[in-house]
Amino acid sequence: MSATTLRRLIVFSLIILWEGLPRTGLIPELFLPSLSSTLIAGWNEAGEYGHALAVTLYEVAVSMVFACGLGILAGAVVGSLPRPRVLIMPMVSSLYAVPLVILYPVFTVWLGIGSESKIAFASIYGFLPTMLSTAAGIQTIDPQLLLAARSMGATLSQRLVRVIIPAAIPTVLSGLRVGGALVIVGVVVSEMLISSAGIGYLISRYRTILDSPHVFAGVLLVLAMTVAFSAALRWIEQKASIWQTGMRGGLAENRSVRPAALQPTA
Amino acid sequence: MQPLANITPLKPAGAVEVRNVGQVFTTSTQDVVALDDVSLEVKPGRFVVLVGPSGCGKSTLLMMMAGLRQQTSGAVLINGAPIPKPDPNRVGVVFQEASLFPWLTAEENVEFPLALRGTPKAERRAKAQDALKLVGLDGFGKRHPHELSGGMKQRVSIARGLVQDPPVLLMDEPFAALDEQTRMTMGDELLRIWAATGKTVVFVTHSLTEAVYLADEVVVMSARPGRIVDRLTVSLPRPRTYDMLSGDVFGGLRDRIWRHIRKSA
Repeated sequence: MSATTLRRLIVFSLIILWEGLPRTGLIPELFLPSLSSTLIAGWNEAGEYGHALAVTLYEVAVSMVFACGLGILAGAVVGSLPRPRVLIMPMVSSLYAVPLVILYPVFTVWLGIGSESKIAFASIYGFLPTMLSTAAGIQTIDPQLLLAARSMGATLSQRLVRVIIPAAIPTVLSGLRVGGALVIVGVVVSEMLISSAGIGYLISRYRTILDSPHVFAGVLLVLAMTVAFSAALRWIEQKASIWQTGMRGGLAENRSVRPAALQPTA
Repeated sequence: MQPLANITPLKPAGAVEVRNVGQVFTTSTQDVVALDDVSLEVKPGRFVVLVGPSGCGKSTLLMMMAGLRQQTSGAVLINGAPIPKPDPNRVGVVFQEASLFPWLTAEENVEFPLALRGTPKAERRAKAQDALKLVGLDGFGKRHPHELSGGMKQRVSIARGLVQDPPVLLMDEPFAALDEQTRMTMGDELLRIWAATGKTVVFVTHSLTEAVYLADEVVVMSARPGRIVDRLTVSLPRPRTYDMLSGDVFGGLRDRIWRHIRKSA
């Protein structure tokens, strides 16, 4: 049985269990409402969930632009210039360990409980890993490659476009994967804490009235969002013709490692 | 057979001249003299190998010939003209294994120096095909470096060094990362390519056997400060064969180099 079939089988079994276990009474509906009652609950309040989803998506999108755009830019600068690197990297690295969510109440004081405070919080939350991995990606570029490019007469801008950027793409994308996921976490968590709109707010509100089906309907939406994000990133990776060993854009459909064809065939 | 039909006209081999070159590295605590009054002349079409203990400045000297580094004093001339910055039309450089771009195919790697100059796609492709054919990699153009063996990667590097038909080819320990068997094969391959193109080759290596096997002339350098301590003409006939490795001439030359290196290391 191939890995893909096995994966599908696992997901399928989980769905069956989600429906079956609460229905047979093995798990009380309060702890885990069956899949069908969750879907019905979501469907009945479709307008409310649709509005919440729009708010959350908007916040995620804006935060993503801030976190990833600024993260890549700052990472590129810090990674390529030695002085800012020595100055900033230790600070950023130790900052990374601080649970930033403790700052969120302060953000609501400064920016209110609307979207602005969520965007600010999620942007900073996703910014750090994106910046760190971009900086690492730029730093780990093999100096031999740059020397070789120089020996072929590449100018500074040619080295940037033809060597540094393509060489950094894999690390930057893995940074985006972490950074983007943290942006979603940041938005949903901050909505759950102090808010008046968004999916996190709905989950939190229905939880206080012990309405499990509606809580899980929100959870499903967040799940769908992260799956969509992951798929989008995979699409970008293929478009960017990612060159990691054993895998290449366009051929990356099967994500298991391709055996490298070492034997000459011609 | 015209080996490089699309790279015609073949430029004649070039001369390399190193005149009283000195190199001083300034560190915060002291000045380190890396090269001290080095003079060397390589006639067109010759195969010259630089050997010496680690840190003798042989790679530094090669980087100067490539225009990648400027000497503190003296002059480095390629065909009589100084080389203030890299010029792939005059000098091709082959580095150690790691210098192919992993995100490009073999073909695209070979085309890279042409692409930098805005050569039209069709012309680029044709030249790259020729260069790959020359190094025995016909049909491997679409492979990525990770799909090639170590020896094949170095063939691609050589093709890339030759694609602009430079009069001089510089090689900085190109086979150092290869296993011994591949290394021997690549040595023969390089001599074949050299015979086909008639380029001037300056080759840096740590291997004494490789040095004697490949060279017309071996230049021996001493440890810091780097000086030329001996120049040996290898009179063995060409083509070189494996049998020569066990002969007296070969052994005598290798011993002489080894004595110099042991003394200065």
